[in-house]
Amino acid sequence: MHNHMSHFSLKSLFGAVFLFFAFSFGLKAQDGAKLFKANCAVCHTVTDQKLTGPGLAGVFDRIQKGSFATKEAWAHAWILNSDKVTASGDAYAKKIKGENGNAAMTVFEGQLSDKDVDAIIAFIKAPPVEKVADGPKGPTGGGESTEAKGGIDPLYLLLGAIVLIAIIIGALRSVRQSLQNTYNRKEGKPETGDVTFGQEVKQWISGHRRLVGVFVIIIGFVGMKGCWNACFDIGVYYDWETKKGYKPEQPIKFSHKIHAGDNEIACQYCHNTVEKSRHAGIPSVNVCMNCHKGISKTANEGSEAQIAKIYDAAGFNVKTAQYDAPQNPLKWIKVHNLPDHVYFNHSQHVVVGKQDCAACHGDVKKMTVAEQQAPLTMKWCVECHRKTEVAMEGNPYYDRLHKALKEKYKGQYDVKFTVDKIGGLECAKCHY
Amino acid sequence: MKMKRNYKTIKSTVFGLTAATLIAGFTSCGKKDANSPGVEFMPDMYVSPSMEVYGTREIDGDTMYSTEFLPVKGTIARGYLPYVYPNTPQGYEQAGLYLKNPIALTPQVEKDGEVLYGKFCVHCHGATGAGDGKVGQKLPGAPPAYNGTLKDLPEGKIFHSITYGKGLMGNHASILTQEERWKLVHYVQKLQGPKEAATDSTKAAPTATVAAK
Repeated sequence: MHNHMSHFSLKSLFGAVFLFFAFSFGLKAQDGAKLFKANCAVCHTVTDQKLTGPGLAGVFDRIQKGSFATKEAWAHAWILNSDKVTASGDAYAKKIKGENGNAAMTVFEGQLSDKDVDAIIAFIKAPPVEKVADGPKGPTGGGESTEAKGGIDPLYLLLGAIVLIAIIIGALRSVRQSLQNTYNRKEGKPETGDVTFGQEVKQWISGHRRLVGVFVIIIGFVGMKGCWNACFDIGVYYDWETKKGYKPEQPIKFSHKIHAGDNEIACQYCHNTVEKSRHAGIPSVNVCMNCHKGISKTANEGSEAQIAKIYDAAGFNVKTAQYDAPQNPLKWIKVHNLPDHVYFNHSQHVVVGKQDCAACHGDVKKMTVAEQQAPLTMKWCVECHRKTEVAMEGNPYYDRLHKALKEKYKGQYDVKFTVDKIGGLECAKCHY
Repeated sequence: MKMKRNYKTIKSTVFGLTAATLIAGFTSCGKKDANSPGVEFMPDMYVSPSMEVYGTREIDGDTMYSTEFLPVKGTIARGYLPYVYPNTPQGYEQAGLYLKNPIALTPQVEKDGEVLYGKFCVHCHGATGAGDGKVGQKLPGAPPAYNGTLKDLPEGKIFHSITYGKGLMGNHASILTQEERWKLVHYVQKLQGPKEAATDSTKAAPTATVAAK
């Protein structure tokens, strides 16, 4: 009985040890990657790319163990507390610190156990082979709009038809004239000779005066209407029929859909002067670099070339992760233009008026290429001022004014305090 | 004879005018080029001699683009406040020791901080500061969690990191005023969680965090 019992417990012990080994081994393989991602990847890659810290590809070929037993032991001590290794006078540690601007590496003593560090070292030594990025081919960086060209412009069709008819008329005319001449010759009548086209047209017109008159009047009115319409296009970057506006090609195929839509970055992160200034602001490249320092390519086709343009503009050297290259300012093209004789202030509309960006700019979160959505004409401004109510809630600075307004219009008529009631239609508010 | 001639000239004038209006009318039918800013009439009214913030400028025959202009040397922006701690590891440590938040925590400040966090931080650091924002997930390494690795980060170091950036994070001094940064520090401290619990959890943390991951 006793014997049997011990045999059983031995067996279970064996099993437990086996399980423990298997588990810890599995832990090593899986959690090395996870631990690296959680603790190290903010500053290091397992490739050549330098982020804040050096890239760790082939790092164990570079490490000199110094006074440590093995290279792994050096790495172990370094990960736990790099300052201690440097302080101990290790030559390689000093060299590394110097190469990286004496930046302090995070101390992981007390955060990571010895086993965790070993797992990380195992992962760094044998990182998984990076798969060729054939992930979902999302929308390209923008640019190529999928809008079909819509066939040939009807204007050219019309012109073509006119030319064709003219040719046919000319041909038929010469045929008829030669027939007439032949007939005349046969009958012994004198040939009509060269009746010019102009003479013939004149003859025809004098025979159909009323018809020609009506036709000329119709054409005249159509033309005048065309002119009238054309006047509304002067200084307006907007197609009234398609409700589409100015959509210039930008130096970088920047997609608002990817940034503001998919990644949910707030408009104000990049256009950060919108609440402080007249201008919403086109972001400087350092704002781009806040994220793109770490993101040099994405799953989207052509992203690497587009992001490289930011690096070029910022003078960022991807190899050294330093801003040591010459800078080339990006020449963004302003999409929403107002003439200089109009004053418009973003902060006034966004902070005081509490207007949403989309009220004027449309659903930018779906645009691959930034596009003007509103006509930006005076009529458009005035219409909005007539129907938009003044934001009186949570605007304590204007409490006195709002109170006075309510007093002034009390019982006069059913008052909605729209912007025009507080002078939103006065010329000098915008033109001065 | 003379009469007839006059009639002729009037007729040709009418024809000419009709043709002109026709041409003008038809040319306006054409579709607009998305790359063209359209027709401008009397451009002097559109582009005044005053300097515009965005656009090009002719200077001594060279076309300069607005982003090429740097502030005049020795000038500072309106409302600019100097920040004394340098962007070095020593400056970081010193800021952690000596730099204190000049703004008292009030409900309004916390609210402002939350709004600012939603605009300037959330896409990387995530709504709870765990580093799980939409952009944070795409970075090579997610930002460390406020209530994890960064639990005990003092306010001075938080401010220093927002000002100069840290690791992959870039500097945010150009887009946030000092006041806004201090409001954010308050909100980040709220996300770090209560301090007393911090000292307890760091002792138990190593195994706990690993197990959680």
